[in-house]
Amino acid sequence: MSNLVSIEGLTVTFTGRGKPVRAVDHVSLEVEKGSVLVLLGESGSGKSVTLRSLLRLHPEKTSKVEGRIIVDGHDIMALSKTEIGDVRGRTVSMIFQEPMLALDPVYTLGQQITEAILRHEDVTPEQAHSRALELFEKVQIPSPERRLNAYPHEMSGGMRQRAMIALALACRPKVLLADEPTTALDATVQIQILLLLRALQRELGLSIVFVTHDIGVAVEIADKIAVMYAGRIVESGSVADILHTPRHPYTRGLLASRVERAKKGDRLQTIPGSPPDLTALPAGCAFAPRCDKATAACREQVPSLVTGAFDHAVACIHA
Amino acid sequence: MIPAPDTLVTDPRDRGGPAQSLLSVNGLVKHFPVKGSGFFGRGGMVRAVDGVSFDIRKGETLGVVGESGCGKSTTARLLMHLIKPDHGEIIFDGEKVGIDLPLSEYRRQVQMVFQDSYASLNPRLTIEDSITFGPRIHGMAETAARAKAHDLLARVGLDPSRFAGRYPHELSGGQRQRVNIARALALDPRLLILDEAVSALDKSVEAQVLNLLQDLKADFGLTYMFISHDLNVVRFMVDRVMVMYLGTVAELGEGEAVFAAPSHPYTAALLASMPKMDPSERTIEAPLTGDPPNPINPPAGCRFHPRCKLAEPVCATIQPPLTASAEGTSQAACLALVPQSGHTHAAKLLLPVQDIESMLMPEASA
Repeated sequence: MSNLVSIEGLTVTFTGRGKPVRAVDHVSLEVEKGSVLVLLGESGSGKSVTLRSLLRLHPEKTSKVEGRIIVDGHDIMALSKTEIGDVRGRTVSMIFQEPMLALDPVYTLGQQITEAILRHEDVTPEQAHSRALELFEKVQIPSPERRLNAYPHEMSGGMRQRAMIALALACRPKVLLADEPTTALDATVQIQILLLLRALQRELGLSIVFVTHDIGVAVEIADKIAVMYAGRIVESGSVADILHTPRHPYTRGLLASRVERAKKGDRLQTIPGSPPDLTALPAGCAFAPRCDKATAACREQVPSLVTGAFDHAVACIHA
Repeated sequence: MIPAPDTLVTDPRDRGGPAQSLLSVNGLVKHFPVKGSGFFGRGGMVRAVDGVSFDIRKGETLGVVGESGCGKSTTARLLMHLIKPDHGEIIFDGEKVGIDLPLSEYRRQVQMVFQDSYASLNPRLTIEDSITFGPRIHGMAETAARAKAHDLLARVGLDPSRFAGRYPHELSGGQRQRVNIARALALDPRLLILDEAVSALDKSVEAQVLNLLQDLKADFGLTYMFISHDLNVVRFMVDRVMVMYLGTVAELGEGEAVFAAPSHPYTAALLASMPKMDPSERTIEAPLTGDPPNPINPPAGCRFHPRCKLAEPVCATIQPPLTASAEGTSQAACLALVPQSGHTHAAKLLLPVQDIESMLMPEASA
């Protein structure tokens, strides 16, 4: 099997307080070895929740996770606490939007990276340290030896993000999960980080699952894109297919409303309304209330994701 | 629909006529002392805004772009008099703010919309109360203020009968930002400062709000200062654009011209850093390396020179003045554009007869 990640019927329901919220609803997807899948969607679409499920990061008390997740042969949902600890960082690791919150402020970056290596591998602290140095060179941090002794607050945003990537790669994972890692960065730094991720992905043969709301970012990094809406995948396919021949009305609307294509002063095409409230989803297709093609049938049954030519799949009865 | 009034001609508040800039800023400077100096082994000042001058013309949209720390939001706050400038003057329609034009009168005419739609609204006031608050402070009768609030809610696309009595937490992000826009319009301002006003919105909602802003501008005869880090949105919205870098203006010019042919190397790099929209045209090489430097103790001379591909030794010594580009559509602060500046690129320029000496005087900074 060439699929490194395989998710089947993932459903995540948060039951913490008030009404249960179904944040992810029957999501199935696959990521091939050495490819980049982008989960594209707006806030509340379930893209980050899907990502976090891959590392079983949802608190068990307040969330219900159903379905099957297989990563490199590990059945994520069935693993014991120690076993999932072995998988985290070793097989699958993750980078976040805000490295300042993800890194520990009271340890130097060198300490954090060597700690991760020592947790997973039987090496001496000296070996771990030299690996950390190698990693800092790999993510192109200038004067890496000095930076290993720096605390997170002493670095700029772009450098912190590079350091977090180094930390994530410390134990040579096969899958890297990226949760909007460039959203908080300046434009000139964002493109540097995207290019770095692309280079590392090629060099190390990584599979990346990358979450973003920004189509431009998706275009720069994706092999495949899965568009999410209200907890479901509504369309998936190669980056070129999604961009050039979108089939779901939501994807079409999203692409048509981009300012990039509009001339100054034009009226932008818009999708009416706003993203739905997950506690009160309409029956049937969640996009139907905002869709100009919606018919009575759309409001009755949730359309299933139907795969057409070139693995281009769409969940719309009118597509 | 209320017909769009042609305010440029008929606005009774217009003092200086159409040729007078609505807002002129001269030599604006704001330095913040670094708290607990010595913690990083260096104290000093954050030179957030360091000698910024520009005009906003009547009826235009001036875009302001730049990375974090470039001073775009500080500039906006200085314009609103939310913080006091160290130096420099703000002239509104020909009158010096705070001297000829009292602050209360100025604030009525200049309003601001912020990025965080939730933090900008008082959570304990209904939407209606939030919108009527300003007008009532400025002396409008309660019933008139309420009627106005309802009218404005309708204008920003929120049905007053459904929304007037709601609280901010009951609205979505896009709806809240519409409320913030309605509130900003409640005092009939002439200038609206939009500081990343659409940045926090989902893309499908962002387009709606951009359309709304364009409609309101025409209907109310507004002038916009549109601050954003999103270059695509800025290109779409603005007539002229100001590019800021580390507290100074790098380039200022007509939007279309600047986006088509940037004069300043920083503008060019910023534009080249935008993600491409076609997977076959992906970026191959990052236009700039490293992060924007810290505005504490910025580089001497041209502040961009440590990251600039065109940098030469002279760039580290002279702070370049804003100089008109050859086409005359923009001004850029780059020595490569200043004849006889000593930069090798400048040697190729045909000289207009000018007092070069005075142009090259480092700009007065505090």
